[in-house]
Amino acid sequence: MLSLMHFVILSVILFSIGIFGVLTRRNAIGILMSLELIFNAININMVAFSKFLTPDNIYGEIFTIFIITVATAESVLGLAIILAIYRMRQKIYADEMNLMKW
Amino acid sequence: MVELILFYFWAAIIIIAAIFTVISKNIYHSALWLGLTLFGVAGIFVLLNAYFLAGIQVLIYIGAVVVLTIFVITLTKEITGKLEKQHNKQIIPALISCLLCVFLIISAVLKTDWATRIIHTTAEDKTAKIGNLLLTDFVLPFEFASVLLLVALIGAIVIVSIDKENENA
Amino acid sequence: MDNIILTGILIPVMPFLAFLLIVSITKRFKLLSAIISITAIFISLILSIVVLNWQLKNPGMHLKYDLPWLYLNNLKMHIGIIINSLTCIMLLVVTTVSFLVQVYSIGYMKGDDGFSKFFAFISLFSFSMLGIVIADNLLQLYIFWELVGLCSYLLIGFWYYKPEAAEAGKKAFIVTRFGDFGFLIGILIVSYLAGSFDFVDIENFIKAGNISDKLLTIIVILLFSGAVGKSGQFPLHIWLPDAMEGPTPVSALIHAATMVAAGVFMVARLFPIFSSSPDAMLVVAYIGGFTALFSATIALAQNDIKRVLAYSTLSQLGYMMLALGAGGYVAGMFHLYTHAFFKALLFLCAGSVIHSLHTNDIWQMGGLHKKMPITSITFLIAALAISGIFPLSGFFSKDEILLTVLHSGNKVLYYAALFTAFLTAFYMFRLYFVTFFGKEKEESHCHESPAVMTVPLILLALLAIVAGFVGLPGKFSIYNFLFLEHPEEVKMDYGVAITSNIVAISGILLAFIIYGIRILSPDTIREKAGFVYTILKNKYYIDEIYLFFIRTVYYNLTEGIKWFDRHIVDGAVNLVAFLCRWSGNKLKFTITGRVQNYALIIVAGLIFVILAIYIFMPDLIFAGGVK
Repeated sequence: MLSLMHFVILSVILFSIGIFGVLTRRNAIGILMSLELIFNAININMVAFSKFLTPDNIYGEIFTIFIITVATAESVLGLAIILAIYRMRQKIYADEMNLMKW
Repeated sequence: MVELILFYFWAAIIIIAAIFTVISKNIYHSALWLGLTLFGVAGIFVLLNAYFLAGIQVLIYIGAVVVLTIFVITLTKEITGKLEKQHNKQIIPALISCLLCVFLIISAVLKTDWATRIIHTTAEDKTAKIGNLLLTDFVLPFEFASVLLLVALIGAIVIVSIDKENENA
Repeated sequence: MDNIILTGILIPVMPFLAFLLIVSITKRFKLLSAIISITAIFISLILSIVVLNWQLKNPGMHLKYDLPWLYLNNLKMHIGIIINSLTCIMLLVVTTVSFLVQVYSIGYMKGDDGFSKFFAFISLFSFSMLGIVIADNLLQLYIFWELVGLCSYLLIGFWYYKPEAAEAGKKAFIVTRFGDFGFLIGILIVSYLAGSFDFVDIENFIKAGNISDKLLTIIVILLFSGAVGKSGQFPLHIWLPDAMEGPTPVSALIHAATMVAAGVFMVARLFPIFSSSPDAMLVVAYIGGFTALFSATIALAQNDIKRVLAYSTLSQLGYMMLALGAGGYVAGMFHLYTHAFFKALLFLCAGSVIHSLHTNDIWQMGGLHKKMPITSITFLIAALAISGIFPLSGFFSKDEILLTVLHSGNKVLYYAALFTAFLTAFYMFRLYFVTFFGKEKEESHCHESPAVMTVPLILLALLAIVAGFVGLPGKFSIYNFLFLEHPEEVKMDYGVAITSNIVAISGILLAFIIYGIRILSPDTIREKAGFVYTILKNKYYIDEIYLFFIRTVYYNLTEGIKWFDRHIVDGAVNLVAFLCRWSGNKLKFTITGRVQNYALIIVAGLIFVILAIYIFMPDLIFAGGVK
C-alpha cells in the first residue's frame, strides 16, 4: 500500500543528495543544478502532504506552482551572474572565488 | 499494488539520476542527468494525481531550465583542454552530514503519527480547480509571481548585457 | 536654658570665625590677625566662665541639644552639644591655656613669615578641640578628633622647610592614625549594636546588659586605642618627642595641655562605657602606669630641654590614664586640669629660654637665674607643682591619683606610680638646676623676655598655685562638681600625702646634689651608668625597632603582595586580552571566503545540533504523539 512514508522518504533522500551536491561541486552551474534537486524534493514533499493529509483542498499543489516559478526565476538569474563572472575571469569554479576574507 | 511498483520504478529513476547528477565529472552529462531526474519527479507527480503539475514540471523545468543550463554550460566552457576536478575537498564532511541528515529526518518522520486521512480512490482532474483557485483565493501571489518573473527577466538581461564602453576583448 | 546652649555653641564658633577671617582677609596684616585670634579666644573664655557659672548654680544637671544631620537607612547622624560638669572643666582649661599661649605667641613668633598662618592654625585648633569637648555623640567626637590631628600636623610641620619638622608632622599624623583606626572600629561596632552614636543612648544600652562581656572588652580596648594614639601611651608614644620640632607655643598648647589631653578626656567622657568592662580598665591602668614609668626613665637622659618636657608630658599622661583605669574619674580629670596649667607654663618658660638663647641644649645653658628672673621663678613654681609638693596644685591632683590607685588594691601600680613621682621630681629639678643655676656660660647674650611673654608666664604660675585648691572640701570642691552618679566624698589619707611629699623631696635633693652643687659630678654618673644611660638616651631604641619592623617585615610582605598584584591580578586581565587576540589569530583561517565552506559549516552545524538533541532530549523532536 502506497503511503505517505514512501513519498517522504524519497523526498528526504533526494534532498540530501541535493545538499551533497551543493556542498561538493566545484563548478558553479553544478551547484545550481544541485539546488534544483533540492527544490524538486520539496515539491514532492508538498504534493504528497497535500494528497495524504488534506485531500479536500489542494493548497499543496498551488504552492508547488509558486515554488516552481520562483525557482525558475532564481535559476535564470543565477545563470546570468555566472555568465558575468565568466566574462571576468574565464572560469567559474566556486572554490577559487575567495576574495571576501581577511 | 500497481502503484507500488510504479512508485519504486520512478523512485529508482529519480535517485539514480540524482546521484549521477552530483557525481558526474562532465558537466554536460550532469545537466542531462538532471533532466532525467526532473522527468522522474514528473512521474511521481502523476502518481500523486497532480497531472497539471506533472505537465508544468516537464514543460518548465525540463523544457526551460535544463535547456538554459545547457546553453550556459556551453557558453562558459573553458578553452583549455585540462581536465579540472569537479569536486572540492569537502566530500567527506558533506557525505557524513548528508547521511546523518537522512538518518535523522527519516527516524523523526517514521516515529511521528501523521494524521493521514482516507483518500478517494478515484482520480479526479484537479486542473480546473487549480485554475479556479489561482484566480480567486490566490490571486495576490499569482500577480506577485508575474511581477517576479518580469523582474527576473529584466535583471537577467541587465546582468548579461555587455557594456558598450568597456567591452572585453 | 536655651541661652546656655547658645553660649555653648558659640564657644567653638568664635575661634572658627577667627580662622576664616584670618585665612581669607587678614593674612597680610600680622598684628591684626593676632588680635582677631586672641579676641575670639578671649570671648570663648568669657563664655566658658558663663557656662561654668550656670553649672555651678545647677550642680548635677546637664543640658543636651541635638539636630538631625544625615539619615541614611537606619544610620542616624546628629550634631549636638552636651553641657555637663566635665564639659565645663575642659572648656575652661582649653580656652584659658589657648588664650595665654596666643598672647605669648605674639612675642615668640615675632618676625616669622608665617605669623598670620600660625594664628589661623591655632584658632582652627582651638575650634576643633572645643568641638571635641562639647560633642555629644561619638561620630561628632571622631570628626573633631580627626580635625585636631590635622591641626597638630599643620602646626608641628609649621616650619615646613625644615626636613625634620616635616618628618615629625608626618610621623605624628601617621602614628595617631593607627590609634584612630582602632577607635573608629570601636565606634562603629558599638554604635551599630546600640543603634545610635549618642553617648547617653550607648550608655543606657550597655547598662541594660545587651552586650556580652568579651565583646564589651574588645570594644572598650578598641575605643581606648584612640586614646593610646592621641595621648601618646605606649606603644604609640613615639610621635610626641618628635613633635617638639614645632614652635614652642604649639608644644605648650597642643602637646602639653590640650590635644594630648583629648585622649584622657575621651576616656573620661566615655567612663560609663569603660567602667563596664573591668578587664579593659585593667588594661588602661597598666598601659598608663607603664607609660608613666617608662617615659620618666627616658627623661632622665635627655639633653634637649623640650624633649625632657615632652617625656614628662608622656609620663603625666600615663598618670592620668592610670587614674582613670583604676576607677578614679575625678582623679584623672583633676590631674588633667592642673597638669594643663603647669605643663603649659613649663613649655612657655622653655620657649622663653630658647627664644633668648637660640638653643635647646641644656648643657649650653646655665646660670640664667640672674638674667631671666621671671622665667626662672615661674619655672621653679611649675617644677614644684609637677613634683607634687604641698600646697601647689600638682600635689592635690597627684595625691588623688595615688589614693585612687592604692584603693583599687593594685600594689604593683602603686609602687610604680610612687617611683615615677620620685623620677619626676628628679629629672625636673635636674633640668632646673642645669638650666638656671651654676656658672653662666660666657657671651650668653640672653635677656629677659618681653612683657607680652612674661605676663602669661606669671598668670599661669598663679593658676598653677591656686588651681589645686579645688581639691579641698568646700563649696567649690571639685568633688561636688565633677561626678558621675553622685558626688564622691573627699578622702584625705595623710599617709599617702606624706609619703608622696617625702619621695618628691628626696628626688629634688638628689638632683640638687648632682646637678646643683655638683657633689657628685654628672659625668661620673654618666660613666658609671654606662650602657643604661645609652639605652635611656636612645629612648630604648623603640624608634629603631619600629623602623626595622617596617623595613624588613612590612616591606617584604608588601613585596609579595606587589608581585601578586602585578603578575596575577594584572596577569589575569592581560591574559583575557591575550586570549582574545590569540584566538582571533588562530580562528581567522575559518574565514576562507569560499561560500561552500560556509555552507558546510551551516549544514554540518545544524545536523550536529539536531543529532545532539536527538540523542539527549528526544522528546523535543517528536510532535503530534509518538507511535
